[in-house]
Amino acid sequence: MRAQPQPVIPVTVLETKLFVPRPRPGQVARSRLVERLDRGAEARLVLVSAPAGFGKTTILTEWLSRLGAGARPRHAAWLSLDRGDNDPAHFWTYVVAGLRTLVPDSGASALELLRTPQALPVEAVLTTLINGVGAVDGDVFLVLDDYHVIESRDVHEGMTFLLDHLPPSLHVVIASRSDPPLPLARLRARGDLVEVRAADLRFTPDEASAYLVGSMGLPLDRPDVEALEGRTEGWIAALQLAALSMQGRDDAAEFIAGFAGDDRYVVDYLVEEVVQRLPREVHDFLLETSVLSRLGPALCDAVTDSTSGRARLQDLERGNLFLVPLDDQRRWFRYHHLFADLLQARLLDERPELVPKLHLRASRWFGDNGEPAEAIRHALLGGDAARAGDLVEVHVADTRRDRQEALLRGWLEALPADEVRRRPVLCNALAGARLATAEVEGVDGWLLEAERWLEEMRRHDGARPDGMVVTNEDELARLETGVAVHRAGLSLGLGDLEATVEHARRALSLRAEDDLIALGAGTALVGLAAWPTGDLETTHTAYVECLRTFEQAGHVADVMGIALTVADLELTWGRLGQALRTYERALELVAAQGGGPPRGTADMYVGISAVHHARGDLGSAREALRRAEQLGEANGLPQNPYRWRVAMARQLDADGDLDAALDLLDEAERVYVGDFSPRVRPVPSVRARVWIRQGRLDEVRGWARDERLTADDEPTYLREHEHVTLARALLAEGALDDAEVLLGRLLAAADAGGRTTTLIEVLVLQSLVAQRRGRPADALAVLDRALELAEPEGHVQVFVAEGRAMLDLLEAAQARASAPGHVRRLLAAYGGAPPEPRQASSTTLVEPLSEREHEVLRLLATDLSGPEIARRLVVSLNTVRTHTKNVYAKLGVNSRRAAVRRAEELGL
Amino acid sequence: MHYEIRLKGRLAPRWAAWFDDFTLTHEDDGTTVIRGEVVDQSALHGLLQKVRDVGVPLVSVVRVAADEERPTPPSTTSRKARP
Repeated sequence: MRAQPQPVIPVTVLETKLFVPRPRPGQVARSRLVERLDRGAEARLVLVSAPAGFGKTTILTEWLSRLGAGARPRHAAWLSLDRGDNDPAHFWTYVVAGLRTLVPDSGASALELLRTPQALPVEAVLTTLINGVGAVDGDVFLVLDDYHVIESRDVHEGMTFLLDHLPPSLHVVIASRSDPPLPLARLRARGDLVEVRAADLRFTPDEASAYLVGSMGLPLDRPDVEALEGRTEGWIAALQLAALSMQGRDDAAEFIAGFAGDDRYVVDYLVEEVVQRLPREVHDFLLETSVLSRLGPALCDAVTDSTSGRARLQDLERGNLFLVPLDDQRRWFRYHHLFADLLQARLLDERPELVPKLHLRASRWFGDNGEPAEAIRHALLGGDAARAGDLVEVHVADTRRDRQEALLRGWLEALPADEVRRRPVLCNALAGARLATAEVEGVDGWLLEAERWLEEMRRHDGARPDGMVVTNEDELARLETGVAVHRAGLSLGLGDLEATVEHARRALSLRAEDDLIALGAGTALVGLAAWPTGDLETTHTAYVECLRTFEQAGHVADVMGIALTVADLELTWGRLGQALRTYERALELVAAQGGGPPRGTADMYVGISAVHHARGDLGSAREALRRAEQLGEANGLPQNPYRWRVAMARQLDADGDLDAALDLLDEAERVYVGDFSPRVRPVPSVRARVWIRQGRLDEVRGWARDERLTADDEPTYLREHEHVTLARALLAEGALDDAEVLLGRLLAAADAGGRTTTLIEVLVLQSLVAQRRGRPADALAVLDRALELAEPEGHVQVFVAEGRAMLDLLEAAQARASAPGHVRRLLAAYGGAPPEPRQASSTTLVEPLSEREHEVLRLLATDLSGPEIARRLVVSLNTVRTHTKNVYAKLGVNSRRAAVRRAEELGL
Repeated sequence: MHYEIRLKGRLAPRWAAWFDDFTLTHEDDGTTVIRGEVVDQSALHGLLQKVRDVGVPLVSVVRVAADEERPTPPSTTSRKARP
């Protein structure tokens, strides 16, 4: 919803997730695998799929470290995935962040799109992303490590789309423990997939030897190596454990014999061996810190209640005990996943009573160190629901402000229901979190709980009732308003528009003066409920109120979005001057504030261009669009890429460049991002109007069929544009009776709704129908009314766009019009209008066509090619060409299509 | 629903706690079978993911009839946090 305040603090990006791991010293070089990975430069997807501990990450780091060598530059971005990345906005934000490590300014508009609260089509984000990558020289590899943690279908669908639309220089690399649900078979069939699987990753006896004897320095002979390799089946994690077990042991042969002869699960056996021989303190340290997904010295101290954290971590890293650094400064580590699982299993078995304590210590540390997400996670794992509830409540406002709805919802759903029930703030928050994803289930129940507490508080005269828990007083203070907003949202979700407006209005009246969130949400909800029914007055009033408040508060960024809506409504009413002032006022605010143009400035210019266009000032309109474009994609609000293109298409249409206009309309459709405002000018309808001008009436009929529009329809506000398009089509086809009836209905509807812009257009069309019927008096009478309505605000283009036919009417109207000034203005506009085939010519040819030329012209109107025409007429191709050239010259055109059109107009 | 999941290799008994308190038995053919109650399909897939993550090859997943009539535990309002 455009009216909501923009986030002040950007979503923090964890650097550690983007850190590209380095190869460990002593890693065994595996050239054959690196060569295979190199082939990824010719594929779309490189997939490394194998269970834990097979060395997926390791082989990728080896490969990446060698990327520099080679003729064509190659770059890589790394993203270590975790379960939080199942939220699509989260996931793609990190993907963009990863690519930004290579191209610092790329994806700025994608990031902006990702911050909008409504569900957004991933395609729009990915399209802008893909365009950004084009700026890099050479190949870019996007590496996604641990992809198996992704379960979200939305993310998988987005990834599928990305894979289908990859530019040639961008490649995806996925490391996963299981094959991801992506179209692998299709990619494989097309040679677009490079795979490295468990069988490939297993160490060969030679590689095992290089590792055990070479890197680990173990005094083993060939049979020993083969025994180990056989027992572990080349599983790298197992070999590592075996190597660790054997280090510093002089009975290597005995160990191997015992190991080979034992049938216990390899990892069990080896971990036992390794861990058993560790000093007590190290053993305890490992077990206690195994509950952490990330390890740092201070955090480890807190969890183990000791001070040896830093020293321990250093020892562990040196001793190669499965500790993976997460950055270059050695601030953060994690355990290799397999090792962590093993340690946790031991912990659960040996000291289960310690587990909750460890989690709570971690929770406390994260809470003290500004990481609420981890603090909450550990509190829940430690079974301390009350603490988790406290933390969630404290952070409700932050997460909402930072658009982290999915995160908040995850927390709320993970809390025990009883815990949520005791906290009115959380009851309301859960209701809101569900509504944010357009879900209505359970919302009423949670709102009732919140309302129950509010009632209890009233009865206790503001004192705290028994059993209620509150840790966020600020949120409690605005609770009643918040509940009203959510009631409005629920009503909207259930389709009860009246109730929506009622609740929203109540929220607006209840809100504290500084509660701008409620202002934005309440206003938007009034608009959402009132607008689609055509109640523009209610919507306009609410939005103007909101606009003034934001202006006063100096929230310039929010002002843009709201001004856009206000001006849209004013344009619908035909009040061009008022709309222009709305835009200009917003721009003045921008200028007064200083600093760079805030997001939404571009939208103001697009709006201004629409006003100039309507007034026939095409030069100024073009200029405004140029200024909008110059501000860049990232400056536009989510709908701007779409709006700019539609406005530009309109410009091209007026210039006569209809094919270019159509191309741009196609683009506009692709970048369209829905928001809650009603779609009152759908692209297919705009496109159909261009087709009408091109004479492509078959396609227009197809459009009408697809959209189920008929001449018998009762017009509604939401489909008004489409019905007017249909009326135009009927007129073009010569179905004058149908056109008349439809236009009559449209006239009544637009008039009743005060939608003057449409009213003028309908009157213009009605006058053209009367003209075609040969009733000039009627035509002029209707036109007169249109002119009267158009004069005050200076509507010009709606007349001029009708070309020759309208010009004739205007010339006739000159003598007796009620608005002679406007007629003069319109005629002047024609004089300066850019050459348009229909306007510049007369109704007869200066030089008539010869009979041969007529024949050629007739055949030009068919699908026949030049040679086919020559054959039909039994002449040479050259002759046809000469005739064609003459025809073009006489008709005053220079293309086949234009010739056919002109011929139709002239009735040849 | 009662499930039996067969894994290749002998897993230490300690793993029972890791697998949500399932029982763990070693079979003569060198496999390990974990047996237990699974609440629903989601829980089953969560369990299978754990199996995957431990790295032991999965041999079979079989749903079996419960040996005896077990009363369904009453649904509790508090839910266990999942790791």
